[in-house]
Amino acid sequence: MKKFNIAIVGLGGQGIITMGTVLKNAALSSDLQDVSGSERRGGAQREGYVETFVKYIFYKNSSELKDPKKNMHSPMIESGGADVLISLEPLETLRGACYLNRNSTVIFNEMPHIPISVRMGQTSYPEFGYIARELEKITKKIFFYDFDKISVSNFNSLTQKNIIALGVLFAKTNIPIDKIVIESILSVGKGAKDNLEAFQIGLAL
Amino acid sequence: MSKGNLFVNGRQGDKGIVLGNEAIARGALEAGIGYASMYPGTPASEIIIALDKNKNNIENLYTEFSLNEHISLHGAIGASWSGIRSLCAMKNVGLNVASEPAHFLSYTGVKSGLVLAIGSDPGAPSSSNEQDDRWYSLHTYMPIIEPSNIQEAKDFTKEAFNISEEFSFGIMLMAPSRLCHNAGILHFGDLRDRFNIEGDFKKDPENYLNLFNMAVKNHSKYLERHNLLKKYLEDSEFNYTLLPNANESGPKIGFISSGVIYAHLIEALDILGIYNHKILKLGFTFPIPNKLIKNFLEGLDRVVIVEEAEGFLEFQIKKIAYEIGFKGKIYGKDIFKASGELTLDDVIIGAGKFLEKTPPAFFDFAIQKSKELNEKLPQRSGTFCIGCPHRATIYSILKAVGFSNTDAKDRDVVIAGDIGCYTLGLLPPYNAMDFLTCMNAGLGIGQAISLFDKKKKVIALVGDSTFYHSGIPVLLNAVQNNADILYIILDNSWTAMTGHQKTPSTQKDIDGILSSNPVNLKDLVKSLGVSYIKSLDPNSVKRFSSQVKSALKEPGVKVLIAKRECILQEIRRNKFVQKTSGAKIETAESLYEIQKSRCVKCNECFVELACPAIIPKRDGYEDKEYYYIDPVSCVRCGVCFEICPNSAIRKVEFDLKVKLNKKKNEERLTEVPIQV
Repeated sequence: MKKFNIAIVGLGGQGIITMGTVLKNAALSSDLQDVSGSERRGGAQREGYVETFVKYIFYKNSSELKDPKKNMHSPMIESGGADVLISLEPLETLRGACYLNRNSTVIFNEMPHIPISVRMGQTSYPEFGYIARELEKITKKIFFYDFDKISVSNFNSLTQKNIIALGVLFAKTNIPIDKIVIESILSVGKGAKDNLEAFQIGLAL
Repeated sequence: MSKGNLFVNGRQGDKGIVLGNEAIARGALEAGIGYASMYPGTPASEIIIALDKNKNNIENLYTEFSLNEHISLHGAIGASWSGIRSLCAMKNVGLNVASEPAHFLSYTGVKSGLVLAIGSDPGAPSSSNEQDDRWYSLHTYMPIIEPSNIQEAKDFTKEAFNISEEFSFGIMLMAPSRLCHNAGILHFGDLRDRFNIEGDFKKDPENYLNLFNMAVKNHSKYLERHNLLKKYLEDSEFNYTLLPNANESGPKIGFISSGVIYAHLIEALDILGIYNHKILKLGFTFPIPNKLIKNFLEGLDRVVIVEEAEGFLEFQIKKIAYEIGFKGKIYGKDIFKASGELTLDDVIIGAGKFLEKTPPAFFDFAIQKSKELNEKLPQRSGTFCIGCPHRATIYSILKAVGFSNTDAKDRDVVIAGDIGCYTLGLLPPYNAMDFLTCMNAGLGIGQAISLFDKKKKVIALVGDSTFYHSGIPVLLNAVQNNADILYIILDNSWTAMTGHQKTPSTQKDIDGILSSNPVNLKDLVKSLGVSYIKSLDPNSVKRFSSQVKSALKEPGVKVLIAKRECILQEIRRNKFVQKTSGAKIETAESLYEIQKSRCVKCNECFVELACPAIIPKRDGYEDKEYYYIDPVSCVRCGVCFEICPNSAIRKVEFDLKVKLNKKKNEERLTEVPIQV
């Protein structure tokens, strides 16, 4: 049995749960594949911290699939258990750093969203350099972009930043999912054209 | 093939990505329910939402967002007695409200299967407590099932209807938020034929008339049925034991667990690399049969019960162990904490310590590292959405009573909070509430405070959905007993926090269709005997604030209705209408803008109002920071424009007929004359 764990963190309204859903749908193509992962929904639309987990499971054979010691999966990722951390907000990357180990890949958005405590002057927002340095102490595989800017300049809206980040996930990590599967998932529905374009932009970053 | 269609049309052999809540709903659908109801509450809401939004494509299904949980469970009982399988869902604290029907259900029994799905909320990310509703079964005698994953959520729910009918109990299904909001693969089953779902209330006075000696008789009958169920569960597939791998032997240790925590346990032991212990998985956690436990405990020296909250399994199993004379030791709450969510990490650490096995190095490293980091990170709390009318209401109230958002203790006014989106007003920067417990506690507790503390004025807040839930008798009580209190009803027309279910205040759905029977809240309040009543738009903050001030000077019960629809629904409807009518909006578009030259960073909009659309900005690294209204996220509510003491915020209108070009936006803004 092989596992590949992805933790996605950020704020309510950034499209984090959608990213999780797209990735999970990619697990339906094989019978020996499974996926689990819970979402924290409380803060949706309201600036709060949101996280979602995508845990891919690849069974060796059908007897492993039927083994109750192997086919039961927690909806959570353990500390240090993420192969990839995607964060759509720089400060929240550090909060999500609990899921990182020395081999993890980090993909994060440079565009900060200041919390109320910083607004009130009670705390200060960490410098970008501090965030990057702290992450580098854990892993060397770090990629960051201004997803907000890329989304606005290409689509005149912020709504594509999550799909652009998904493109980066497929460009920069060894995620054991074929990107064609994601493209076919993105090609369904109302925003298909923009979604496919956003995914390509992310792949090329 | 969209998920929505699969939810309705999925058959044996199909699979899809489904939320835990949707899996529960689907299990009920496969079992052939004809009735589904709830009062919305996180994390359970999507159970009934999934059925409600698809009801037009499902034959013979009635769904209801009831006004409260008490009514909702009664509805499910009525449907069951009419021969209709029924599903009722609620959040953990909802059962407190529905506990009266829950306590009668075992006495009277059910006719067609009834499942009560409870969404519990360990860690309380969306609740005002962490209560473990499993304890209710010790006095209601409602049996409990606890699925561990998405597949079980569906399969257990489906099977629960059969057991409910066979033993005439309403079955409680426990789903913590980690299961409700787990999304993963569901293998669908076949649906029962839905065309023959038809009600027939068969009179059964022996069971349904539950008082005097008839109640006593019913009591003894359900104790008998309870014992029959216990016997059935001795070898039911709901409970099973995992044996150690054949080639591994070790100390004689056993683990017992259930629900999502069982899934944590299996993964934790895998991460620790331990496979040589016996594990009992309980799918049914009430009742627990003696023989099952006896067989499991046999030959063990030590047993560890892994569960969340106060130790419901430990309580029952220790009792059984005493009765069967078990000589070994039983551990539980001495290893695993009783408060807060029990995470996968907690189970790894607890099991690791108990078995004297060190977790992998990466795990310890990550725990240490994140502990160091978290000490320095600014906390982030939720707040109102951009353009939310509650922000304006809370801001206006604080202005009226003398703003002190840094130390709420200094205010000489008591502000009672309540449950809903406006609850967020208790968080910084507003700190606008002095107490908050359960639904409609604000006015009830506030009434007595106003009675005994004559030095402070009392303001109680309530949302429209919470008011209709159980606030009407509280208000009537205040009127009948001549209370001196200001009651502010924040009427945004929706149960917004749980995903926008309709309330009696809802005038218009987001597709523009008018409600058939909306309530006139002002008339309703008037009919309860309130003579001081005003309904006004909270986005006119100065007017609202002065009304709060005047109301506080008057004696008796005063009611202000802060009437403005939830901004998210207003935006959704506008988008929908725009799309379906095909009409291009050709009116002038407006923007709000902070003029750098006039803004002195007084912080009225940035900190006091704290609208997230107002952000600090710096053009170059060396330049000074200034406040800026992000035009992409601003929804043009105009509240900041009204409150700016320096008239630094201006309204800019420009013509949308000229095609918007992102890059030219900023030029245009400075070109267009100000039109206020």
